[in-house]
Amino acid sequence: MTRFRTAMAGVAALALVTTLSACGTTTGGGGTSTGAATEDISVEVGADLSGKRICFGFSGSETEFWAAGIKSISDSLKAANATVIEHNSNEDPNRQLEQVRDCITQGVDGIVVIPEDGSSANTIIKEANDADIPIGIFNRPPATEDGAAIVAVADNRDVAAQTTQYLADEAAKLGRKVQPLIMVGNLSDQNAVERRNGFYEVIDANPDLFLTPIEVQTNWDAATGQANLQAAVQANPDIDVLFTSSDFLFPQIQAVLEPLGKWKPVGEEGHVLMGGLDGDNRACGLIRDGYVDATGVQDLFYEASSLLEALGTAIADGETDPDDTIVDPGFALTSANFDEREKDMWGCVITPPSS
Amino acid sequence: MTAAPPVESAPAAPPPPGAAARARRGAVLRRLFAGEGFVAILIVVYIVAMAPFAQGLLSERNALNVLSNFWPLAIIVIGQTFVLVLAGIDLAQSAIINLTNTVGALLVTQALEPSLFDKSALWGSVVGPDGGPLGGGGGIALAVVLMVVIGAVLGTVNGLLIARLKMPPFMVTLGTMLLFSAVAVWLTRSENVPNLPEEYIAIGQGRIWGALTVPAIIAVVLGVAAHFVLSKTPFGAWLYAAGTSRDTAIISGVPYRRVVVLAYALSGVFATIGGVLYSTRLEAGRPTLADDLLLDVIGAAVIGGVSLFGGKGSVLGAALGALFFVVLSNSLNLLNLPFTVVFIVKGLVIVAAALLDVVRNRILGGTR
Repeated sequence: MTRFRTAMAGVAALALVTTLSACGTTTGGGGTSTGAATEDISVEVGADLSGKRICFGFSGSETEFWAAGIKSISDSLKAANATVIEHNSNEDPNRQLEQVRDCITQGVDGIVVIPEDGSSANTIIKEANDADIPIGIFNRPPATEDGAAIVAVADNRDVAAQTTQYLADEAAKLGRKVQPLIMVGNLSDQNAVERRNGFYEVIDANPDLFLTPIEVQTNWDAATGQANLQAAVQANPDIDVLFTSSDFLFPQIQAVLEPLGKWKPVGEEGHVLMGGLDGDNRACGLIRDGYVDATGVQDLFYEASSLLEALGTAIADGETDPDDTIVDPGFALTSANFDEREKDMWGCVITPPSS
Repeated sequence: MTAAPPVESAPAAPPPPGAAARARRGAVLRRLFAGEGFVAILIVVYIVAMAPFAQGLLSERNALNVLSNFWPLAIIVIGQTFVLVLAGIDLAQSAIINLTNTVGALLVTQALEPSLFDKSALWGSVVGPDGGPLGGGGGIALAVVLMVVIGAVLGTVNGLLIARLKMPPFMVTLGTMLLFSAVAVWLTRSENVPNLPEEYIAIGQGRIWGALTVPAIIAVVLGVAAHFVLSKTPFGAWLYAAGTSRDTAIISGVPYRRVVVLAYALSGVFATIGGVLYSTRLEAGRPTLADDLLLDVIGAAVIGGVSLFGGKGSVLGAALGALFFVVLSNSLNLLNLPFTVVFIVKGLVIVAAALLDVVRNRILGGTR
């Protein structure tokens, strides 16, 4: 009897974990919108998609950028009268592949995917190409150029370089060599690679200004990023410049720097020059308050609009394998240009959906 | 001394009318409930019930999708069956998949980006910018053999800890799950391993004719082999005996420790091969490939009649359980339900399957 009870308790716990893990990791699974943004953040699709069914697969909505992107794409497709079939793979590339295959089974007219990473993007593109269904990839580019897809992606390298250049200009005012630190994303994601490349482009161009950078791995995970940053700062307390590959890590950065007395606004002794990338609501507030110096802005709405417009056109024209790359040039919002460019950053003009 | 007069037994009373028929019906129901027929009927009834609502459920394309999802899961569930029959559990299967598929991909990859991999412990020794050492020709087969050996060794480690040190299987495999997964992440610093050769990818994607694919052949061969081992060999009999009653089995001469070690080794081997199929269909080695797989594996095994209490279960049942789980996921996707609802349904199904396991045990006692 004890074994029965133990086993039953174990399985019940297993099932509970299954359920809670679904509810706890991300919100806004497929079939519903991702959050409760009050603003209309739909973009112009430029085509009437009445009677068309679009499969929209995404890997999670754990950051403001993704939550806003998912909501914008979903709302925009619905505003264009498409029937949207949403699938959240909860960061499991195998599940995402199965979900896209199931969409294809239902005979969808188009597919939009935010892939888990570059290599799984290629696998999914291949499935869509084989089924003669046009596919769009949002913001996370495929690892290779194999296959035909419409890819909307920010010029991550240039945006990161612009942001780091601003930090370099400010650091030069200190009149000494400075210690930079970069929080690196998951490098199987091409976005993370390019952001890192953009950072190093500026570092390498200023050998007299920068010491060898400290690299902190985050794997796009807040807890990992915080733990690794804590260790890095303990080992190297004299950080002067900090660049995070995504704005969503600023709360973790604050949690590490504040107890050490290093979370100080611009102008105060001990201020760490800080920059990020994404352009989210939190970064907007931190620049406004003077804690963060700059962030690279991805134009979320431009990317969503361009992607959906190209996909809508392909569907209307009966084109099954459109192949195009749309590059969002982005820009750096800095303490210096904040007043004039604040309205150009999505994070400053919308209340982000819950992520 | 006089012999005792023989005792004459009273003539048996004739059974009440209809009793024999009721007994037969009861026996048939018990057999149905105990056997794989129940799961098979469940699958058919479920598909018939869902077909009007889940668009494309009965289409040829969907059948191919379901089969593509089924083969790797079935292999892993069959591997889990060996340890569940033994009244154990192998939580480390997912970690073994993570580690072996990553190592395999590192061995066969044809190119690696230095900026991503130059901090790997294997950089410059095993792998480099030109990829791994076994990227072409017969190297692929050797790499697969090495992966299977690693899977067997990892499973053996679990088995030895459980059998020799008498540690609880749940705790041992929970610990090694964390350990093996961490090693997989450490090896590549969490990077996926791309640029796999076509011959390697063909293991998971190769199509021979129609629904006859390379994964199908691998799964069927392994399934038949596992069925033979469980039902026709002394090892299989020992496994059921040890799972039914450890002490009785040991007294009866069953080499208990050896059986435990071998069962966990087989679990590791089957997990590795299932992982190869998952990895190759995604065309990359992934250190986190199977992180979310464990619930499906345990759930499918229990639905398939493999008892969590040990001593019961079959390869056919395990495979049907995997099929039910795959059909369930597929149909819920086709209903376009939110993933939270999909998880809730899966969770409820696992609880229902566990309840079914309890009921089965009470009704059937020691029946296999």
